[in-house]
Amino acid sequence: MNYLLLTNVAIWLGVSGYVLFLAAKQARLEKRIKHLEFLNDKQG
Amino acid sequence: MNGFIKYMCILAGLALVVSQYFIWEYAPREATMGEIQRIFYFHLPFAWWAFVCFFLVFVASIGVLAGKGMFWDHLAGACGEVGVLFTTLNLISGAAWAKGAWNTWWTWDPRLSTALIMWFVYCAYLVLRSGSAGSLKMRRISAVVGIVAFLDVPLVFFSARLWRSIHPTVFASSGGGLAPEMWHTVVVSVCAWGVMTFVLLYLRTKQMRAMQRIRQM
Repeated sequence: MNYLLLTNVAIWLGVSGYVLFLAAKQARLEKRIKHLEFLNDKQG
Repeated sequence: MNGFIKYMCILAGLALVVSQYFIWEYAPREATMGEIQRIFYFHLPFAWWAFVCFFLVFVASIGVLAGKGMFWDHLAGACGEVGVLFTTLNLISGAAWAKGAWNTWWTWDPRLSTALIMWFVYCAYLVLRSGSAGSLKMRRISAVVGIVAFLDVPLVFFSARLWRSIHPTVFASSGGGLAPEMWHTVVVSVCAWGVMTFVLLYLRTKQMRAMQRIRQM
């Protein structure tokens, strides 16, 4: 039963870890896009 | 996030919740191994979807070498990442299941060994890709590695049949010795992780495309 619990924890940590990695990348990407839009507005 | 992928995310979440119900409530307790056998309902979908991801890496890599555009390179990258994630989870769940059933975390069985080699090969592929952003030559080298790496995938799949292995083969006998409720749970679990795989691949491919566009600006 302990091994079952261990596996379950590992699986959900792994999947949520990857989803968090995607979310962090997306946040950085949106920040960069906003910065580029700001620079574009400034030039325009 | 557009409407389609938003619904797919919700569908993936719901499908995973339903699969949890099937795994913990609907599927009967296996007579010989007991509760530890429930690991099977995670272990199998991860293996199958990792194989699908690696096959997509293979196809997308051919697309890269054929000069079909950046989409194929992004798809290969996303599939490589999700495939490695699923293989990692497959190896972890397999090790825990082995400890419960065989009283050992690891044994140098053909199936286990070839799966570990596959994991190393695709980790190397991701490391190679991480340094290839923007460079056409490196993208092509990654594509060649993506194609060659796929040679190990059929080897993993057939290893338990080709060589003497203690790892069970699900389709070896009719029904694999599983009760109908267990088969229902396998189908639900494979479908749920399939939707999740699609969502992860879609989001990551789209994200890589956006990153590429920004890099080009």
